[in-house]
Amino acid sequence: MQMFRHAMLAAALGAACVAGMAQDKKPAPPEPTVKVGDVASDFKLTDQNGKDVNLADFRGKKNVALAFYVFAFTGG
Amino acid sequence: MKSFQEQLAKLEAADTQVLGVSMDSPFSNKAWAESIGVTFPLLSDWGGDTTRKYGLYNPSYKAPRRATFLIGKDGKVLEVHLDKTAVDPHNVVQACERHKLSK
Repeated sequence: MQMFRHAMLAAALGAACVAGMAQDKKPAPPEPTVKVGDVASDFKLTDQNGKDVNLADFRGKKNVALAFYVFAFTGG
Repeated sequence: MKSFQEQLAKLEAADTQVLGVSMDSPFSNKAWAESIGVTFPLLSDWGGDTTRKYGLYNPSYKAPRRATFLIGKDGKVLEVHLDKTAVDPHNVVQACERHKLSK
């Protein structure tokens, strides 16, 4: 009986651990929908000096390195 | 973005315009650009429409996933870099070389 109790306790602890790990797991990050070979979706956004910038303005003139960053005032 | 500024001459030599994008306001982007010496446009995707259009909205952070798209003059995407690869601008400089981008 004692052994049975120990086994039950171990099983319960194990289940709690698995549940805890599942909670810690972050949801998968989003996957980009714009892929190699696609025409990059146009946008019009305002820069730090209040000037509007269209991606289409660079068409036929410049290549573009479009760098999405998470937050201002952070690294990267 | 500071590290992209450091590679700016190489990217300009490859006829490549750098554009940063985040969901910050133009005001915080201006303060940040001045504090780290960034001269290229930091674009404000306030509300996140463009971030969502590119599939990069991360609900965990309520912000974009770190990603760099190298786009050719024809508007087509040449390379997509994510996370750590996107953080290091040497990767996009090398991508410009791979695709033989120059003036």
